Amino acid sequence: MGISRRSMIGAATIACLLALWAVLTMVTGTIDTLRFPSPVQFWQSAKQIMTTGYADGTLLSHALHSLELVVMGFVVAAAFGIPLGLLMGWNRRAEALINPVFLLIRPIPPLAWIPLAILWLGLGDAAKIMVIFFAAFVPSVINTFTGVRAIEPHLIEAARMLGTGRWRFTSEVLVPAAAPMIFTGLRLSLQASWTTLVAAELVGALAGLGRVLNVAQQDIYPSMVMVGMAAVGALGWGTTRVLAAIESRAMPWLIVRA
Amino acid sequence: MFLLGAAGLLGFLGLWWGLSASGLVAKQFLPTPLEVLARTLYLLTEPFAGATLPEHLARSFERYAYGFMLAAAVGVPLGLLMGWFRWLDDMVTPVFDGLRFIAPIAWVPFAALWFGTGIGGPIMIIFSGAFPPCLINAYRGARFVDRTYIEAAQMLGTGNLRTILQVLLPASFPSIVAGLRIGAGLGWQSLVGAELIVASAGVGYLMVQGQSNISTPTVMAGMIAIGLVGLLIDVALRQVEAFVRRRRGLA
Amino acid sequence: MSAIVFDNVGRRFERNGQSFPALEEVSLTVADKEFVALVGPSGCGKTTCLRMAAGFEMPSSGRVLVGGVPVHGPGPDRAVVFQQFALFPWKNVTDNIAFGLRNKGMLAAERQDRVAGIIKLMGLEGYETAFPHQLSGGMQQRVAIARAYVLEPEVLLMDEPFGALDAQTRIVMQEELVRIARINPRTVLFITHAVEEAVYLADRVAVMTRRPGRIKEILDVRSVREAEDWHRHTRVEDVMDLESFVHLRTHIWRSLREEKVDAEH
Repeated sequence: MGISRRSMIGAATIACLLALWAVLTMVTGTIDTLRFPSPVQFWQSAKQIMTTGYADGTLLSHALHSLELVVMGFVVAAAFGIPLGLLMGWNRRAEALINPVFLLIRPIPPLAWIPLAILWLGLGDAAKIMVIFFAAFVPSVINTFTGVRAIEPHLIEAARMLGTGRWRFTSEVLVPAAAPMIFTGLRLSLQASWTTLVAAELVGALAGLGRVLNVAQQDIYPSMVMVGMAAVGALGWGTTRVLAAIESRAMPWLIVRA
Repeated sequence: MFLLGAAGLLGFLGLWWGLSASGLVAKQFLPTPLEVLARTLYLLTEPFAGATLPEHLARSFERYAYGFMLAAAVGVPLGLLMGWFRWLDDMVTPVFDGLRFIAPIAWVPFAALWFGTGIGGPIMIIFSGAFPPCLINAYRGARFVDRTYIEAAQMLGTGNLRTILQVLLPASFPSIVAGLRIGAGLGWQSLVGAELIVASAGVGYLMVQGQSNISTPTVMAGMIAIGLVGLLIDVALRQVEAFVRRRRGLA
Repeated sequence: MSAIVFDNVGRRFERNGQSFPALEEVSLTVADKEFVALVGPSGCGKTTCLRMAAGFEMPSSGRVLVGGVPVHGPGPDRAVVFQQFALFPWKNVTDNIAFGLRNKGMLAAERQDRVAGIIKLMGLEGYETAFPHQLSGGMQQRVAIARAYVLEPEVLLMDEPFGALDAQTRIVMQEELVRIARINPRTVLFITHAVEEAVYLADRVAVMTRRPGRIKEILDVRSVREAEDWHRHTRVEDVMDLESFVHLRTHIWRSLREEKVDAEH
């Protein structure tokens, strides 16, 4: 397998940017390292948080804590959201009944729930999970709903013609047919979960990557802020890849998308 | 059907009111719907945390508008060019992919250090939220444009710039508009987040103050206002999108 | 006795608060094990007739009976082959075919036998674990026909089944269908707008008027086929070259053209 031209250009661009970064901060001093850290400073902060720790925890403990909360909120949201979306998509009555309430809740940005969550549940983990739940819940429902509505009518007619019972219809026709859109919803839910979690931790937390960012900001410690951001990005990327792997395992019949 | 909808809504409001009025949930935590409404009306004219609700909204919207317009002004042309010039795509995509996974909100501390409490901070956050959809949709629109349009243009002897402006751009327009709509939504959400953390005015700031003063009705009023504005933005842009699609015969 | 009876069937549909007749006084009988093709101009309601026999739609007036019983809803006794195949993309060939049998509660051993048998009959050997998207249009339609046949339905309803296939594949499938129908005869209602296809395949061809559709005339193809011994030719193009075939086809074309001319006045 040869290295494609594309990845060479990409690698070259990144190398150039890194070099530029190093030069502008350490050599020419064009960028004030009090505001924007140099690569060396970044590395030193990274080492610090990974070994001795920062803001009452090591990088690992903070990352795990954030990850825990995201996974919990995300899974609960999906567990409630997908069945609700299936119901609303399939049953017009259920949709008519639930839709108005849903339309009320939907426009409120997930982050806007944070102050309320803090009022209700304090600054602990419970409030975070609540906000993550609200953030992840809406995309799951909407996309599952859309997925059901988008099912080709002939597939449903074929299933009816073949005399399919209720339970089998849901598990072997409805869900697989809606699966691609359900996963789109899950991807959006995951994104929303991370955004909300970081925001909630920024507002107030005892542990987690958001706390790292918060404390680093208050300490005026830009390179640590950068380390925090990199960690957030890395975890976001990692969880997205896990979801993508689940997605391709779950739907082996789909032609691989470019 | 309509009756069912009304029933669902009333049921929800009734449940809310019941939980609150009966004292099952402390008034402090769950004010009745009426109290929230009253507070909202009150805040329309009386200031809280430095300004009235409409004034806070205006400040929020101002920042939002700047951030969003910046995101669109950078994202759309860049996306189009990336869709056209493969080498540009190869250069930018790795960098973009790397930064993309950092939740927009995670930029807040950085923005605070870099810009202090000036308007630059929120704009940066809004930009990081609104930029990806603007870029991605413009890129997709350009990249996956029907090859036959390009070939027709080439056959007619059209130069590069003109092809981009008069073939690629119009062909990608529906995708671009969809991207703008999504970006607008994400930008608004990012703004709220930013204001929760670093602001001295704006609707997010209002809610934070409401929270520290344990004024739940204020917090809820803020949520309603944010939701309403977000909804209006979305509805308006959906209309634009539908209009564009109809003009193209895509509806 | 599995006959399809359309007894003075009418169907109206609503649009913008007004009701329009799609079908009016359609009366047609498909006898047990008979193959009847229904042809007509676009929009004449021939697909609607099939859908009513299938149970996807209800007549506004009159009755549709299958095997003497009025149709209430869809079911495996009236198997449908759709123009768009309607195979479940997430199931492979075997699972698609077996699905209806599972719904009937058939046990695994018997099911496997039946499915293997139909796969052989339809020439699908080697594709048992393939997914629909990996198959050509013709192969997918074979799977759809297999799925219908394996149910051993009273009645087979085919809605322009070869309409989505390219011309060459279409001819091959027509020959296939004749072969299978000979081995395993069924009562069939076959919708098509391709007149040659109808004449080649059917025992009788019913011609519909334009909307609101009613049966204009019914031609007995079988007696001509037997009298002229079309069976001596196995290839479609040879049969379609016969004078008696051309005569029938041209008659139907003229009949359909009248409908079109009337529409344009």
